[in-house]
Amino acid sequence: MFSFFERHKKLILTGAILLLAALALLTSGKKLNATVLDSAIGFVVTPFQDITSGIGSWVENTTSSRREKTELLEENEKLREEVAALQADNQRLALYETENETLSGLLRIAQKYPQYASFGATIIAKNPGVFYDVFTIDSGSMDGIEANMVLVAPEGLVGKVLESGATYAKGQSILDSRSSVPAMSLRTGDLGVVKGDYTLMNNGLCMMEYIDAEAEIAVGDEIVTSHLSDIYPPGLTIGKVREIQSDANGLTKYAVIEPAVDLKHLDTLLVIDKNQTTDAATDPSHSTELPADDSLTESIPLEEEVN
Amino acid sequence: MRILLTSILVFVNFILQTTLLPYLSIGGVLPNTALIIVVSYALLRGSISGAMVGFFSGMLMDIFFGTSIGFYALLFLLAGLAIGRSQKEFYRENYLLPVIICSLTAMVYESIVFITGFVFQGETNILYFLLRLLIPEAVYTAVVTVPIYRLLFGVNEWLELKEKYKYRLF
Repeated sequence: MFSFFERHKKLILTGAILLLAALALLTSGKKLNATVLDSAIGFVVTPFQDITSGIGSWVENTTSSRREKTELLEENEKLREEVAALQADNQRLALYETENETLSGLLRIAQKYPQYASFGATIIAKNPGVFYDVFTIDSGSMDGIEANMVLVAPEGLVGKVLESGATYAKGQSILDSRSSVPAMSLRTGDLGVVKGDYTLMNNGLCMMEYIDAEAEIAVGDEIVTSHLSDIYPPGLTIGKVREIQSDANGLTKYAVIEPAVDLKHLDTLLVIDKNQTTDAATDPSHSTELPADDSLTESIPLEEEVN
Repeated sequence: MRILLTSILVFVNFILQTTLLPYLSIGGVLPNTALIIVVSYALLRGSISGAMVGFFSGMLMDIFFGTSIGFYALLFLLAGLAIGRSQKEFYRENYLLPVIICSLTAMVYESIVFITGFVFQGETNILYFLLRLLIPEAVYTAVVTVPIYRLLFGVNEWLELKEKYKYRLF
């Protein structure tokens, strides 16, 4: 048997080669299902393949993962930085938005009283006591602020400047018990004086005193500054009447006023220089100040324009 | 060193009291931290130191918030002087006395401000002042006195220790 192979070695080899070649040629292009034998071999082999290729990929992974890890870490760090930058941007933009709102509010009020020069300021400190409402603003005489200039916010009157230093100024709000603002009811023209009161100050309210007993002032009336003051320009909104009471003497009434400005949470305000009129005023009725002896009836058209 | 540290303390207190402290107000009432510092100095260092700290604290108040220069300076100076004089001998480690004295001083101080500023101008609503301002402030000041006095006490101890070595007092 063995000798037979020895003898016909070449013949068998060539035969096998030819057979295989013929098989290859015949089966090429034809899809054949795996035979039972193939499947059996596969059943034995494939787990090992799995394991080995698993090992290989594990080795490869571990070698490459270190490199990848550093790459990912770098990428992560970059992304984090980007997120932080974007968040900061976002916050900045949100801040710009609120600032824009307050500034455009201030611009509106500056246009509302175009006859006076004005500039913005920020409250930087508040009186810590319980009796008075005095605050410090961040610009002073170097910026052109002088005593008795008027402080306003987009909603209305805030107070006046008590004193101005080189880089700061002392402001007094209308809630301070030493403040008194000549005022009138916009609807009826009743005159009075808006004064601060320390019992109302903590609630953010103030009083309007010396109202005539026969005045027709009512709850909800808008109170504005009157033309009787040489500090406050006429027609600035002060607030609304919340409550009306008669005085003990029966000759006058007083009203509790809710200021239009939220004085407790105020930080940006506008300083109005009453003595300096700007040339920007186009309307001739706005370019001149009202004379001090102007009567009430003459001042009403101005207030209608204002509101 | 002591002068530098004290002036920094007075200055920082003024800044904090006028900017951040209003956020901690309860019903519009704030503890009078400047007064606490003056009283603590008077108790720890005697009447002259108390009076000087009081003068400068009060002067800052006058410059930035007063309508007349010297009113608060005088009040704080007198507070420091009086407390320094009256309380020469007591145990510094005891916290109860500073708390009581600070609270009482705050009451006297606010009463003087109220009387000079309001009663002389015809204000008669004393009940509101007593119930809504004076008593809450006294209580709040008493509470805040504890940490501030503790801080000042520690600073004073440290400074005295340094001075003891510097001047070879013992």
